[in-house]
Amino acid sequence: MIPIERTLLYSVIAVYLFITLAPLLWVLSTSFKPNQEAISFPPKLLPDAPTLDNYLFVLTDPKLVTSLFNSLLVSIGSTGLSVAVSALAGYAFARFEFKGKNLLMSLILGLFMIPVVINIIPLYIMLANVGLLNSLLALILTFQILIIPLNIFLLKNYFETIPKELDEAALIDGCSKLRALWHIIVPISMPGFLIAAILSFRFSWNEFVLPIVLSNKPDVMVFQVALYQFISLYRIDWGYLTAGINIALIPVVVLMLFAQKRMIRGLTLGAVRG
Amino acid sequence: MILKLEARAGILQPYLLLVPALSILVGFLLFPLMWNIYISMHNVSLTTILGEWKYVGFKNFSNLLHDPDFHKSLQVSLLFVGGSVALQFFVGMVLAVVLNQHIWGSNAFLALIIIPWTVSAVITGFSFKFIFSDSFGVLNYVLEQMGLNPVAWLSDPEVVVWTLVIANMWHGTPFTVIFITAGLFSISPVVYEAARIDGATKIKSFFYITLPLLRPFIIINLILITMWSVNFFDLILVMTNGGPLFASTTSSLYMYRQAFEFGLLSKGAAVGFLLIGLNLVLAYSYIRLFGRQEKTVEIRQR
Repeated sequence: MIPIERTLLYSVIAVYLFITLAPLLWVLSTSFKPNQEAISFPPKLLPDAPTLDNYLFVLTDPKLVTSLFNSLLVSIGSTGLSVAVSALAGYAFARFEFKGKNLLMSLILGLFMIPVVINIIPLYIMLANVGLLNSLLALILTFQILIIPLNIFLLKNYFETIPKELDEAALIDGCSKLRALWHIIVPISMPGFLIAAILSFRFSWNEFVLPIVLSNKPDVMVFQVALYQFISLYRIDWGYLTAGINIALIPVVVLMLFAQKRMIRGLTLGAVRG
Repeated sequence: MILKLEARAGILQPYLLLVPALSILVGFLLFPLMWNIYISMHNVSLTTILGEWKYVGFKNFSNLLHDPDFHKSLQVSLLFVGGSVALQFFVGMVLAVVLNQHIWGSNAFLALIIIPWTVSAVITGFSFKFIFSDSFGVLNYVLEQMGLNPVAWLSDPEVVVWTLVIANMWHGTPFTVIFITAGLFSISPVVYEAARIDGATKIKSFFYITLPLLRPFIIINLILITMWSVNFFDLILVMTNGGPLFASTTSSLYMYRQAFEFGLLSKGAAVGFLLIGLNLVLAYSYIRLFGRQEKTVEIRQR
């Protein structure tokens, strides 16, 4: 590669890395400033006297703590449920021939394209009618529509990379298909399950539209909604808010950095065949 | 007899495996989607949900056609979606191609560039509201230091949509990078090798090999980011709440505000129905523009 070309490539990357990281680092820096300093003008790049007060405030506010706990509960619950039902469906697509298989698969992928926003009004009325409005269960169930299609797609592709001979051998030994799934496929597919679980967690943890409509009472609020309410109630205290932002970021960013290489491979797995 | 039962169970087995996933999708996605039509033809508000619903036919739709605020929201949507899709697609495509050149550190760069995609829309909204603030925002400070005039990013009705487009670009571009990267991975290096031996330059191979082979990825990517932009409103809700006045109220935010701020659920449902229509028209036109036959084949093979 000629040097000019290399310089050009690196400068494109440098510019975009700056765009990507500068806002995050700015918010990080602000979260260690007391509030007056956070909105002082001209702004200071680094806090004069870094303080953890903002974090302490967020982590001791009873409403915010409850909402953090709710977020964790809902995210884990919806991740578990979606991975379980998607594994069964993915296994059906990967290992069985049945009528309407292709049609069903493209229907499921098509559903993925339907924006959930459009469904919030009917979902609200539906859940109000069955008395599930303002419950964590409502969130766990409705989050499924955000993640099941993607999970079925990922897991089906992963299962297809496993040689059929493996579970066929188990079937000959008298295993039922379900037991073959549980004892042979599931253990080998752990990396695939990991990607599916991390993506599900990310979608559930970050979701805002469904919870703000379906579950916005204090005891069933999730963290994203609680932060939003927090700023609409008080005047915006940017010190506290930036600390809250970072607390919301930590779990997903850590998980995604851990998974990103596998994630691209997981998506490519489907792509190569497609 | 037992053999017969077992055989029948064998045929049913894949369907049984699909039941849990499909019942959730039907119950919480397909059914509400259909029901939305019914709601939009009745008069339901937050106060009358559990009471009696009055049938009003197409009145909600005809009201929308004469509603200047709704017209304005369509204009805002057009700018927001057009700007977001163009910017995200162009920047994402450039980055994916650059990172695919196997230069030193490209994996680490990719990992960093993906980070905004893991950040929720609400958090993105807050962060940019802070940075773009008219009074104490760091961006205006930087502009001033460079000798430029500060911009009223969030309060100038002419500017605010573009501020949102920038925030949406930050949040959404990584998806295009990931998706196009996956597409680039799927192209065999052998093809490029053959082209190189035949004397093709890098630029030529990009236009004659990479782009055509990427086409199915490009179409799906465009459809997805377009739909997401059409329906995206949490970021806008946090950053501007649709203001100043209606300057940044997109149609999806308009739907949300009608339904849950003013309690007019049926009116919101009617907007939602029109949004579905808009999504379908856009998706169809992408397929017509770039897709032809391959698109359907591609989806089916997956």
